[in-house]
Amino acid sequence: MNAHPTLDTDDTRPAYNYAYLDEQTKRMIRRALLKAVAIPGYQVPFGSREMPLARGWGTGGIQVTAAIIGPADTLKVIDQGADDTTNAVSIRRFFERTADARTTEATGEATIIQTRHRIPEAPLSAGQIMVYQVPQPEPLRKLEPHEAETRKMHAWAEYGLMQVKLYENIARFGEVTTTYDYPVMVNGRYVMAPSPIPKFDNPKMHMSPALQLFGAGREKRIYALPPHTSVRSLDFDDHPFRIQSWSQPCGLCGASDSYLDEVITDDKGGRMFVCSDSHHCETRREAGHRGEMLGDAAALHLVEEIKP
Amino acid sequence: MTTMIHVENVAKTFTLHNQGGVRLPVFDAVNFSVAAGEALVLAGASGAGKSSLLRILYGNYRPTSGHIHITHAGRAIDIVAAVPRTVLDIRRRTLGFVSQFLRVIPRVSALDIVRDPVLARGMSPEQATARAQAMLARLNLPERLWNLAPATFSGGEQQRVNIARSFVDPSPIMLIDEPTASLDATNRDVVVELIAEARQNGAAIVGIFHDEAVRSQVATRYLDITDFRKAA
Amino acid sequence: MTVHVSPPDAALDPAPLLSIARVSRFYGERIGCADVSFELWPGEVLGIVGESGSGKSTLLRCLAGIDRPDAGEVLFRGSGQPLDIYSVAEQERRRLMRTAWGIVHQNPRDGLRMDVSAGGNVGERLMDRGDRHYGQIRERALDWLARVEIAGERMDDRPRQFSGGMQQRLQIARVLVSEPKLVFMDEPTGGLDVSVQARLLDLLRVLVRDLGLAAIIVTHDLAVARLLTDRLMVMKDGHVVEQGLTDQVLDDPHHAYTQLLTSAVLSV
Repeated sequence: MNAHPTLDTDDTRPAYNYAYLDEQTKRMIRRALLKAVAIPGYQVPFGSREMPLARGWGTGGIQVTAAIIGPADTLKVIDQGADDTTNAVSIRRFFERTADARTTEATGEATIIQTRHRIPEAPLSAGQIMVYQVPQPEPLRKLEPHEAETRKMHAWAEYGLMQVKLYENIARFGEVTTTYDYPVMVNGRYVMAPSPIPKFDNPKMHMSPALQLFGAGREKRIYALPPHTSVRSLDFDDHPFRIQSWSQPCGLCGASDSYLDEVITDDKGGRMFVCSDSHHCETRREAGHRGEMLGDAAALHLVEEIKP
Repeated sequence: MTTMIHVENVAKTFTLHNQGGVRLPVFDAVNFSVAAGEALVLAGASGAGKSSLLRILYGNYRPTSGHIHITHAGRAIDIVAAVPRTVLDIRRRTLGFVSQFLRVIPRVSALDIVRDPVLARGMSPEQATARAQAMLARLNLPERLWNLAPATFSGGEQQRVNIARSFVDPSPIMLIDEPTASLDATNRDVVVELIAEARQNGAAIVGIFHDEAVRSQVATRYLDITDFRKAA
Repeated sequence: MTVHVSPPDAALDPAPLLSIARVSRFYGERIGCADVSFELWPGEVLGIVGESGSGKSTLLRCLAGIDRPDAGEVLFRGSGQPLDIYSVAEQERRRLMRTAWGIVHQNPRDGLRMDVSAGGNVGERLMDRGDRHYGQIRERALDWLARVEIAGERMDDRPRQFSGGMQQRLQIARVLVSEPKLVFMDEPTGGLDVSVQARLLDLLRVLVRDLGLAAIIVTHDLAVARLLTDRLMVMKDGHVVEQGLTDQVLDDPHHAYTQLLTSAVLSV
């Protein structure tokens, strides 16, 4: 066990309670989590706390992680699929300092993965927990502004209006243009906002062996998908749900089955498509996969060329 | 012959609440019957209450007291006491009212106006159309008008549409209020024929006819309303 | 004009669609409507007339499941046993409101989703009941738009781009698409130009007749009542002062207030 500096008696910095939250708060959140797991897709209200982070930057996810993390856990934090962006780095450091947590960038090694906007490409396994940061937990909110009404709609599974939204999309654009936070039906009962992950990731939630927890700090809601839960993306019989696809593979690792981000490489219109999951991409490159633009990108110092 | 209408002790007094509650007695203790195949013509000076009586028979005015038994689907029903939907059913199947004017409904063609009651009684659209066309032709309504809404028709043309609608499938009881007022001699004769045919086919007719000639051609019997004026 | 053939015994259904018993609603000390009782039979069109504030809209809201009356019961007989719409679970009441009956509001904004296309507005009730075939939903919506005389090419336009009369017709299509047995209309022609009113009235008249709909229409316009309704109920200060066949009430009004109403208009 690696003792954490903040726990040292002679440390001048303030000594936080383990994992920052007080034990009563953790208990409250765990109760909400238990209820959420018991009723897949149902939004459980909880007493969201102030965190040392602005609301809307992942306070819901942090509170869920803080309530479930233990010294034996290994934490991975991603933001838009990347382990190295500011938000991901800050949250990872937060738990390094307050929870004495081991951290990793390797999906397979992590026991808890806190995420904003992505699900890792590597398949999740039993025993892993995904923690999603959720800005807007209510999938019906844009359609029905009144909370009292949306709660009734969920209570009685009145989801016609959700379908109207998809109808409008197809009527106007010929297809459902929602590409992220694409609504899903959980366990055949509750319509759920999967947080702003791309719809590309929706199928990964279906029957996943991992436990998936969703925390919305500003909106004070927690919901969950227990392992092996049916998660179906809403669609029409004659306009079935489809995930995004790209005309070219990842420029760095050559993957043709991962979610790609467009990266502008210069001010002359140069661009490339690369894996949004940075760890997945690196892993593939370490294994010897090479994309067509890897050489160029290395020359521009956009990536380090990894020697296999 | 079957009694189709049996009027028993009918009285009517209008009370005008907004004009000091003034009471206008019209008639009292009206008693008569009309059998199938009869044409009863109501007589009496203008204002004697002929139209009021006709409207009471139709269930349009409510008598102050008394009963009116209408033979409807083989049963005598007191139209005064009947609930609205029964009155409507009686009107739909048994009781026709030919008014002085066509109530024009926007956008409905003359042909449809005439065809409507036949369709409502269950005739096929083709048959109903054929009958409606024949009736309009018989009343000399120019064919170019058939598919137009009668709002712009002359008074006489509108009235012929009205009569065609009433006689395209005559009801077992026909209540007729001054149908010939705005018609020329030719069409007046057609109306007299239509009434006679309906009566010969077993309809019971009660009518008001201003025109002396029409009255005498139509009537099998007269009833002078003045006899029932209140003594007061 | 579309063809409607009513069976000879249409008026003689064995049981009323709606039975209202002693319905009252109060706003504090003030009476909204008091002690209203009547029955509505399948295919019947009932008009409720009276001045603003006479309680007719309050009554309509009680009957339509929107506002719970303070006393009395509203029995609806869809199929099978009649049920008191305020003693069934709210879920069931909401389901009935979406399927068994519909409401056409005076202001289309209250009855339409203004930022959803015309087709989406009409299709919503189909999707509510679980229809999940886009093409079929669209086909039915298109059919209903045609029936309310809205051109098919306007299907993907939003109602805010429509005229007042079109919005009102769209509202009617949106309600009728689920083939309800009963429709409530609150001043359906209110706020429309006279020429537009005439078109809407004729459309309503034909639809009500062709579909054999029962309807309750609140209006202060006696000409509307004359054209559309079979029966009339006259309200004043929350009370029903007179009721009967529409032509009886309008041509031979007995109550002082009804006489006042009918004499206040030029000719109905």
